[in-house]
Amino acid sequence: MSFTALFAAVYVPHFILQAIGRSEPELRTHPLAIVDGPSPTFQVIALNRIAELLGVARGMTKAAASQFAQVTIRPRCIIHEAAAHAALLDVAWSITPRVEDTAPDTLLLDISGLASLFGDEEKIALEIVERASALGMNVHVAISANLETARIVARALPGPTIVPDGEERHFLETLPVAMLSPSLELAEIFDRWGVATCKALTSLPVLSLSECVGQEGVRLHAIASGKGMRPLLLAEPVQHFEEWLELDDAVDDLESLSFLLGRLLDQLSARLSARAVSIAAIHVHFELQPAFDHAFDTSRDLLRVKPAPGTFSCMLEMPVPTRDAKLLLKLLHLRLQSRPPGAPIQKIQITAQSSLARVTQSSLFVPTAPDPDKLELTIARIAAVVGDSNVGSPQLLDSHQPDAFQVRKFSVASAGISDSRSIAQSVSTINSQSSAVTAIALHAFRPPVPARVQLQGNKPTLVFFQGRSGTVLHASGPWRTSGQWWEEKPWQEDAWDLEILFSGEAQPPRGFYRFSYDGMLEKWFVRGVYD
Amino acid sequence: MYIELHARSAFSFLEGASSPEEMARSCAEFGMPSMALLDRDGLYGAPQFYLAANKIGVRAHIGAEVTCVQGWRYPLLVTSHEGYKNLCRLITHMKLRAAKGAGAIEVREWEGVSHGLICLTGGDEGPLAHALRNGGREAARKVIEQLCGIFGRNNVYVELQRHFSVQEERRNQVAIEIARNLHLPLLATNGVTHASPAQREILDVFTCLRHHRVLANAGRLLSCNSERYLKSPAQMAALFADLPEAIASTAELASRLQFTLKDLGYKFPTYPTPNNQSQMEYLRQRALEGMVHRYGTQNERAHLQIQRELSVIEKLDLPGYFLIVWDIIRFCREKNILVQGRGSAANSAVCYSLGITAVDPVGMNLLFERFLSEERGEWPDIDLDLPSGDQRERVIQYVYERYGKLGAAMTANVITYRGKSAAREIGKVLSFGQETLDRLASLVSAWEYTDSNDTLTRQFRDAGLDLANHRISKFFELCQKVQNLPRHLGQHSGGMVVCQGQLDSVVPLEPATMPGRVVVQWDKEDCADMGIIKIDLLGLGMMAVLEDSLKLIRAHNKVEIDLGHLPQDDPAVYSALQHADTIGLFQVESRAQMSCLPRLKPKCFYDIVVQVAIIRPGPIVGKMVHPYLNRRQGREVAESLHPSLESTLSRTLGVPLFQEQLLRMAMIAAGFSGGEAEELRRAFGFKRSEARMKDIEIKLRRGMESKGVTGETQNKIVQAITSFALYGFPESHAASFALIAYASAFLKCHYLAVFTTAMLNNQPMGFYQPATLIKDAQRHGQKFKPIDITCSQWECTIGESSENFPVRIGLRYVKGLHKETALQILTQRSIQPFASIEDLKQRVPQLQKDEMRVLAAIGALNFISNKTHIHRRSALWQVERAARPAGELFAEHLRNENSGPASRFLPSDPMNLTPMNNEERLVADFNGTGLTVGHHPMAQHRAELNRSGVSPASRLAALRDGAFVRVAGGVIVRQRPGTAKGFVFLSLEDETGIANIIIQPQLFEKDHTTVVHNSFLLIEGILQNQDGVISVKAGIIKPFHLIKAAAPAHNFH
Repeated sequence: MSFTALFAAVYVPHFILQAIGRSEPELRTHPLAIVDGPSPTFQVIALNRIAELLGVARGMTKAAASQFAQVTIRPRCIIHEAAAHAALLDVAWSITPRVEDTAPDTLLLDISGLASLFGDEEKIALEIVERASALGMNVHVAISANLETARIVARALPGPTIVPDGEERHFLETLPVAMLSPSLELAEIFDRWGVATCKALTSLPVLSLSECVGQEGVRLHAIASGKGMRPLLLAEPVQHFEEWLELDDAVDDLESLSFLLGRLLDQLSARLSARAVSIAAIHVHFELQPAFDHAFDTSRDLLRVKPAPGTFSCMLEMPVPTRDAKLLLKLLHLRLQSRPPGAPIQKIQITAQSSLARVTQSSLFVPTAPDPDKLELTIARIAAVVGDSNVGSPQLLDSHQPDAFQVRKFSVASAGISDSRSIAQSVSTINSQSSAVTAIALHAFRPPVPARVQLQGNKPTLVFFQGRSGTVLHASGPWRTSGQWWEEKPWQEDAWDLEILFSGEAQPPRGFYRFSYDGMLEKWFVRGVYD
Repeated sequence: MYIELHARSAFSFLEGASSPEEMARSCAEFGMPSMALLDRDGLYGAPQFYLAANKIGVRAHIGAEVTCVQGWRYPLLVTSHEGYKNLCRLITHMKLRAAKGAGAIEVREWEGVSHGLICLTGGDEGPLAHALRNGGREAARKVIEQLCGIFGRNNVYVELQRHFSVQEERRNQVAIEIARNLHLPLLATNGVTHASPAQREILDVFTCLRHHRVLANAGRLLSCNSERYLKSPAQMAALFADLPEAIASTAELASRLQFTLKDLGYKFPTYPTPNNQSQMEYLRQRALEGMVHRYGTQNERAHLQIQRELSVIEKLDLPGYFLIVWDIIRFCREKNILVQGRGSAANSAVCYSLGITAVDPVGMNLLFERFLSEERGEWPDIDLDLPSGDQRERVIQYVYERYGKLGAAMTANVITYRGKSAAREIGKVLSFGQETLDRLASLVSAWEYTDSNDTLTRQFRDAGLDLANHRISKFFELCQKVQNLPRHLGQHSGGMVVCQGQLDSVVPLEPATMPGRVVVQWDKEDCADMGIIKIDLLGLGMMAVLEDSLKLIRAHNKVEIDLGHLPQDDPAVYSALQHADTIGLFQVESRAQMSCLPRLKPKCFYDIVVQVAIIRPGPIVGKMVHPYLNRRQGREVAESLHPSLESTLSRTLGVPLFQEQLLRMAMIAAGFSGGEAEELRRAFGFKRSEARMKDIEIKLRRGMESKGVTGETQNKIVQAITSFALYGFPESHAASFALIAYASAFLKCHYLAVFTTAMLNNQPMGFYQPATLIKDAQRHGQKFKPIDITCSQWECTIGESSENFPVRIGLRYVKGLHKETALQILTQRSIQPFASIEDLKQRVPQLQKDEMRVLAAIGALNFISNKTHIHRRSALWQVERAARPAGELFAEHLRNENSGPASRFLPSDPMNLTPMNNEERLVADFNGTGLTVGHHPMAQHRAELNRSGVSPASRLAALRDGAFVRVAGGVIVRQRPGTAKGFVFLSLEDETGIANIIIQPQLFEKDHTTVVHNSFLLIEGILQNQDGVISVKAGIIKPFHLIKAAAPAHNFH
């Protein structure tokens, strides 16, 4: 018995529309237009026949399309498209393991030898159509011994089409050359030459064509003649893991949400286990009830990159990759506790970044660092109580504002020999600086101590703080700084260096202090004491 | 008394936040008798500071901060004229040897140039602070000793600044110690960078722009506080209460600064006359010679006028100026460069006699005082129109050569922060995202001219931006504050200044972006205000067309045309003008001009002068157009606004149309003197100031009341004067332009091939696209030939056919074809004709694939092989083949084949490619050249259009007024003039002519997308035929989809 190769092409027409139709089937019978593009110039990129009959056209701006009251306008949804594509792959893999992931809307299947399982070509084609239909998609299927012919015919003709062996050229000749997916440059050349159909292309002499446009021309010529052959490029498993859940009723309490998140994380964890990889980071994205939009439009960061309305995102980066779903859930729970989404959640999407599992061996000469998982959990617990911005390592800011600093995320990942070197370096830098300029050390009070100050002219004469009072012997200042005038909360401060003689039995009886007058709060503070 | 002696203005470009005027104003408010401005590396702001200060009684000391290669800046103050010259030369020297915007001096360069200058030790960027930072106390002492060595011990002041900073105070303590040791005086300054504390915000924004940062990450680059504002003497005295001598020194030093910009030392060059003749005598001779040439020997009136003018010129000591302009004219004549004076110079019979202008002021009875008057004591202003491009550059280079590199320079053009650019830069500094930035920038035009906060708030809200948001409101506030502050220095388009001796000792010079050009640090207004004479050498596209036309006529028609002696009353010219057949003509080709011409019906040259002047925003806003046209047609009585104005307004039928009339009206009706009238013109002129305009208006009304001109007449006169002082033409200027308009009309009527060729070779210019010019010429019977690589030149050329000189389109119209490549094609073609497309590619290797594709697509390669004619698609096929690299294997083979004909050179024509049809050829023509010499795109649909009742444009004139019509065509012009209350005017072209469409604002709003985005439209509406002006008032607008070709349209908003 001779073995004949046989291929099936599966094509989803109006893929963008069908992707949305899968999740909202009622839209299939409504006039629907999908818009996309750079904001604010959204344009219609796909529309169904009913919308077209009403006058909507591809390329129309969103504003223009909005004038058709009956038409439902939806933004393009990549998630829905990814889901549809994943479903399409599922259909294909349920038929054969040999699948080429040609395009989001097109798959090629090697169906050689499947007759014993499904029956003849027609039955295989119908099987594919049925299975796709069960997953909410109408597809074109074409079967041919020629891979490319199957692909092109599926794109061009509806329904299951069986191309008999030897009839490929006949099936292709009336089709436009654009169906061959030439490169942009070649498409332009064909256009200039007036070559519009596959027949026109096949009538060109191959050798001359090769001289003019090179091997791509020859390849397309062969494809148009039904003779183009190439091996099937088998789909590689993806490294991107995503789970999502759309809820009929929005969830607004953390416990219910934790339950749902736990389920998704378990699924993710199981998928990752099967692939022997771990989670390096997870990205959680919620879609919220629209009525709560305004709740997220106040912070200055959001002014810069305004998110799509009604969404909430957070990212959990793991110090070391893990598959521990319980740990992930706990961390996520703490994060949401400290920074809740603020509105009921309609849709959950969790994306995991995978990484190889951690393999480490401690060094004999490096002190043992705390277990990164436990440390992360501890930091998350503290952050849940004191707030994200209050946990970490302080870092001085480049600002004229006295004592300005920010808190960075604490990490022990870089601890080790390199760290000790950098510490030594920074110490030597400090030493060299101190030898150049003799500075008096200031013991800073954080937070600064409130004080009362009596002035003569604009100079402090008497001071009161921490239950003590003193007379100012010498005052040097004011050292005036101000800034951040472009923010809601600018700052302005006059600092004074004061020599104070304390009254009563205070010890020591005199001292050098830095006082400051906060011009915004209109209050005095003691910033620190000089040694 | 404290005097501020160290201040920077916004002319320190991003290092100062206030204008010199603001500084001077604040200074006067504090009662400070004087102040010094020290901008960075220049005297950019000095004239404005001097003039503003002078006006309010403050003495303006001049100085600059000069950058040194080591990184610090010397703050220098000028004590004497010698010091000023030294400073100017020093800055020029360091600027001219460096790239634009850079430059620094070496310490050794001070030798011999430090006289007349006083050096301060500076603030944070001064030599003292620099030395202290880098070498400590000892280095600081050394640097001050070095300054004493350069400038002299008496000319160095140890500067103290107090901005409430610990580091600064430490530096002050060291400075005081050194000053006392070296017995140098202390000097208090505030290192001012802005006039008021609030302007610190602008300074911070500028700092970010300078360092390419945003406010959020600029950190300590920003000011640490707002203390660098101009402080009052009392504030400064309090700050330096412990060092009263530092305050006292300011007054002492100020008394030493004797120099002001009044003593600029500028002299206009003396013209070298032969035989030690005086300049005046020489000018008189030239003027009288010219008079004989222009007027003959018998014209007594002209003779008297010239004598009168010469005596004024002598009194004002201006013969040198006239001779120098005459010299430029002489150079142009010698080099066959067309030149014509415009503007008020055309009011002078001397200018006319010298050949500077071409309008006869005696014959036209023009007002000489508008040009020059003893009373005003101003320098005259002569603008010369030259052919744009290389010829103009030749004249500029001649002036440089004649007066030396340091004797002549272009005037600067100070680019200021305005509108959208300001909004974008400030938005970026405030860290707005791109999307927000776009929205903010789109609002700029909306709020630029409005002051109503309510409207603003609404507009911002509509754009999704909340003015209550702190940063949005800050943005808005900053945008307002930054408006008109200088941003950088550009080069004025044509203004040149020349000087007797060294211009670099009058004003610092610096290199322009354009190689070979030098600019002064002052803009043209500042130069004029400082009494520096400027000659404008302006490029005019139509002058280049006229010049090219004359050459072509000489070559092809074997006729010598003298534009100065064209037939005066050519019937063809006037017929064309009366029928608004004016596409391509200078100044009278716009849609508005065309709709006015059939009503004005020019019959003589003066009518053209009126025609040029009447379609201007001034007369339109002043509602002069309709009264004039009605009176001309006898529908209205031609009476003047007031009987006393009869003599002034009679020749324009009682309606004021020219600037001179406005001056005379003010003189007659309000008793203004000539100088006051000119002051009025300036008040309403380019640099409008609300307060100044108000003052003048009050004066005008008061004057009229005293003369008994009151009520409605007074209002009408005020409206007439105020509305077109800015946008009205002087009569002489209109006459100069009318001459060019007449010349262009004459050439178009009698030498159409030549004129069209010259027009096509000088694009872009004028109102219409080349495609329209060609179609218009074709309708006048002109033949065109397409681009052909075997015979087209770079420029369009005229064929040798004896019948009608067909115009061959030049390779310059091939989109994307580089000129160098085209010239290489011509060179190779002249050696040996090309055998094939492959041969072309081999011999012109720089020819890119895309260039060849365009050539093939437009049919330029159809005749490349003299054996066979190939069609465009065949050529496209061969281009693909020729353009593919042969690869290493065949390269050697091909090189060998180059010596003789080879098989690869022979066309290999796949017979299966279908030739392009008409429509496809049309599309290819427009895509590849933006024009077609074939049929108009509408022509092939005419039968179909006729069936659907669409009238061709040429038929509209025959239809009755009020008829319902349907027209279709390509949109060649879209216009929405500011003066037309939202009406939109379209010009719709078909193969028979142009239909004018009027779209009402509501309809435009409804069909905005259709009107703006479609190249071809079908319009239904009511025909309006009023006095021969034909237009269609649109009712229904539809896109016309039959045609794919899209000729580009000019859009004017």
